Amino acid sequence: MRRRAAVASVIASAGVLIAGFQIGSAVTAGRTSSTTGTGTTSGGSASNSGTSGGTSSGSTGTTGSSVPAKDGTFTGATEQTPFGPMQVAAVISGGKITDVKVLQKTNQGGRSVQISNQADPMLRSEVLQAQSANVSTIGGATYTSEGYLMSLQAALDQAGFTG
Amino acid sequence: MTRATFETMGTVVSLDGPESPALLDAVRAVFDAADRRFSLYRPDSELRRIADGSLELLDASAELREVYATALGWRGETGGAFTPHRPDGTVDLNGIVKAWAMAEAGRALGDGDWCLNVGGDVLVSGAAGSGAPWVVGIVDPADRAGLLTGLPLVGGRRAAATSGSAERGDHVWTRGREAAEFAQVTVLADDIVTADVLATAIVSGGSATLDDLTARFDIDALTVARSGELRATPGIRELVTR
Repeated sequence: MRRRAAVASVIASAGVLIAGFQIGSAVTAGRTSSTTGTGTTSGGSASNSGTSGGTSSGSTGTTGSSVPAKDGTFTGATEQTPFGPMQVAAVISGGKITDVKVLQKTNQGGRSVQISNQADPMLRSEVLQAQSANVSTIGGATYTSEGYLMSLQAALDQAGFTG
Repeated sequence: MTRATFETMGTVVSLDGPESPALLDAVRAVFDAADRRFSLYRPDSELRRIADGSLELLDASAELREVYATALGWRGETGGAFTPHRPDGTVDLNGIVKAWAMAEAGRALGDGDWCLNVGGDVLVSGAAGSGAPWVVGIVDPADRAGLLTGLPLVGGRRAAATSGSAERGDHVWTRGREAAEFAQVTVLADDIVTADVLATAIVSGGSATLDDLTARFDIDALTVARSGELRATPGIRELVTR
């Protein structure tokens, strides 16, 4: 059974690693920038609705020190987490973290782990964009034999519509 | 590619696939057998005989015990948000039998290009035609004649299951008996049993269960609250904006 690593821990470890990049790799200034790690952690929680977890961390990735971070991709050390080995890379552009990539999968699943898989609010207009897609079949809360007659799926079936 | 429909298990099966009467018969046989064994509405079904006490669970068929054990496993995995028991203790496998039968039917269909829709839950294989992914239109619970969105099944995602608290509430027991927080929950997963069980569990358990299950399982979720608010995991976001 596949499981995804617990979000909070992943965010926390990503935050720690990113703080590590900024102290160790990207920023040559002193340790004053270590508070940045905290800010990045909260950014990673993706509580805003418009952007994905990866890019949302960019807005909080600005270093606290006056020395801008070097641009590039910085790879952190492999960390052992309760969910298996984790390694992330931060992409820094213009002194900000613009992306965080998970390089190692956890032991728990075959898929690469996202920083957060939390379901966040989304505008109706955002999902409606996909409505024009060529729909092949209709998904909905289980319809009964009677309910089927009123369903969109029945209309598709009647039309003999196939893919 | 051709489309066939037939009724079974109180709902309608719609199958897009190769024109093969043998394959269609095999799929039909899977659902009819599941209905005979698991329906609580058939006085002679095996599950009904367990419910009325004329058959001991330990004496039940290996198939029934396997499905029951699977359901109990999911009860543990979901912290009880999904359960194969009615509040009165009756074993009710409705919440898992359809998906389980869909998985069986999928194995009968094998590889190739096909799309199996059973009462609004969807399992696919291959492509819809010329390499295009199968796209599942998700009904808008506020306007059942309209679509909320279209979700292509890509990247190993073969299953889309949707549970609602308004229709067929008989298999979604809300914890604490309060009104369900979500009017509709769609879950995408690599297999239909995971998708269906977890969609049901999220309707039952609300947003706490949503957060827990999306963190622990390899799924994508799109939820519609009673208030109309939508929530989506990053995977859904990618699918609708691509």
